Amino acid sequence: MSTIIIGLSLGMLLFLLASGLTLIFGMLGVINFAHGALYMLGAYLSFDIAHRTGSFALGVIVATVVVGLAGIAMERFALRPLYNRPHFYQLVLTFGFILVLTEAVKLFWGLGYKEAPMPALLSGSVDMFGSTIPVYRLFVIGFGAAAAIGLFAALERSTFGMLVRAASSDSEMVQTLGLPASTIRTAVFGFGAGLAGLAGAIAAPLFPIELGMGTNTIIDCFIVVILGGLGNIRGVVAAALLIGMVRAIGYTFMPSWVDVLTFAMLIATLLTRPQGLFSRPVRSA
Amino acid sequence: MNLSRFDVLIGLLMMPVIFALPFLTQDDFYLNLATLVMIWSIFAVGFDFVFGSLGMVSFGHASFLGIGGYALAIVTQRFGLPFEAGVLAAIILAAFCAWVFSFFALRVSGIFFALVTLALSQLLYILADSKLREWTGGADGLPGVARPEILGIDFFSSLNFYWYVAAIFVLVMAAIAMVRSSPFGRVIRGIQQNEIRTQQLGYDTHRIKQITFLVSGAISGLAGALLGSLLMYVNPQMLHWSTSGDVIIMTLLGGAGTLWGPVAGVMIFEILKEWLSGWTPYWYGILGIIFILVTLYFPKGVLGEIQAFAGRIRRRGGKS
Repeated sequence: MSTIIIGLSLGMLLFLLASGLTLIFGMLGVINFAHGALYMLGAYLSFDIAHRTGSFALGVIVATVVVGLAGIAMERFALRPLYNRPHFYQLVLTFGFILVLTEAVKLFWGLGYKEAPMPALLSGSVDMFGSTIPVYRLFVIGFGAAAAIGLFAALERSTFGMLVRAASSDSEMVQTLGLPASTIRTAVFGFGAGLAGLAGAIAAPLFPIELGMGTNTIIDCFIVVILGGLGNIRGVVAAALLIGMVRAIGYTFMPSWVDVLTFAMLIATLLTRPQGLFSRPVRSA
Repeated sequence: MNLSRFDVLIGLLMMPVIFALPFLTQDDFYLNLATLVMIWSIFAVGFDFVFGSLGMVSFGHASFLGIGGYALAIVTQRFGLPFEAGVLAAIILAAFCAWVFSFFALRVSGIFFALVTLALSQLLYILADSKLREWTGGADGLPGVARPEILGIDFFSSLNFYWYVAAIFVLVMAAIAMVRSSPFGRVIRGIQQNEIRTQQLGYDTHRIKQITFLVSGAISGLAGALLGSLLMYVNPQMLHWSTSGDVIIMTLLGGAGTLWGPVAGVMIFEILKEWLSGWTPYWYGILGIIFILVTLYFPKGVLGEIQAFAGRIRRRGGKS
């Protein structure tokens, strides 16, 4: 049972992280390599704030907002001039941001491991289904589920969501209609980056905070996005839960092969359904 | 055959520099640095064969470099075979690995290509770092990688090894220059400009991309073997995705898609590294900022911009 809970909570964390990535890709066509670095920045920020003020919630809010603002600055000043150039410029540019963000974190917080305090309210454990389950894991699952529902509602029901979808399918038309397509793009990038910061803040009490945390996680995140089918939020939910489960079960039964197992899933997917497990094939032209 | 005059000119300028360097300094530090630059240049030129010519970002080229290094180390140490057999194994294994990568990665396109090459290369990194520890020495790597042995020359001397690498460097550059100006090279550029049109001209573009990737992997494998030999040490860091990132930075700094751009990029990278790291421990971040600015404002890279500038001047001269 605890394996399932761990799997679900890992999956929800991956979902939070991957949803920002896939949102940015789906709407802007940009793969943000620095997404993992933003996640790391979120974890450090929330750790620092929670450490100083003793408030976990404040840490989460500050991390989300600050990382979101960093994303807005990135889009506005670095990515926007590149939209007319070949795709790989965006790819390598966001890679450049990894170097800058990693060094910035090193400059502020140093090289050592950090441990974020577990918020007092969520630190206990409960007995459920005959096993002891940490409350924080349950919180992560609930939070992730709420975030997933919120994202669906925001994208598919709200006016802003409609604008975002319109801007992603035909940004020139949106511009012609007098709507600020480039502002929408900036907002989406900021929102996606904020989700990375949020994921970092939520993950902070569970894992040691270190400089490599972003690079390790981003690979899993890419795998989730590939499995889910690019730009497909439903697919990302399913793929994130799948990878979370695989990792949790792997940790229990064959801990040293977990990474290889996830990669094997990626390769098997590419061989059978290169367009992703959870999306229908899209006909080109 | 139709070599660009600019490329030939730089080649002619490079030759005396490579030849004169050992006469200017006998200092091991500078000789080894120059050797390192030439080896990384081979890697960067091989990488640019896919990146600059095809316009596809491979985030997995560190794999081929690493496989080259490990192949040399394992073949010479475990099987006691001579250095040349190790280099041959490095080239063949790296090419094979590139073929396997392309088999998966070419099923998807654009940005996905980068993600898949990245994921596959991380898989190899994990294998080398922990799973295949018996063969790769795990995180400790394999020390005591071989140096060449021909005619009893002592290649443990920095000077002799410099000449050895210089000869290979010149050969590789000449070969790449010839391939780039051959019909095959033109088809590759055709694919970058318009794949569907190239397809309709009757070329099997998938096969051509695969061959390009394979050749690129082979060159990277050669560079990996030489790098292992220079450092006399291989470790999993060679396979890590930050190594793939470094070669991308170098290539873009110098100028992707040009013959000498990657070489210039390696020089710039190494000079910046020497200069910045003496100045601040956060040099990698400053390098990142420089890289971002170059990507934004000088997308053709240093050499590409110079070439474009020279082209503008020549055209203006022709008009008057």
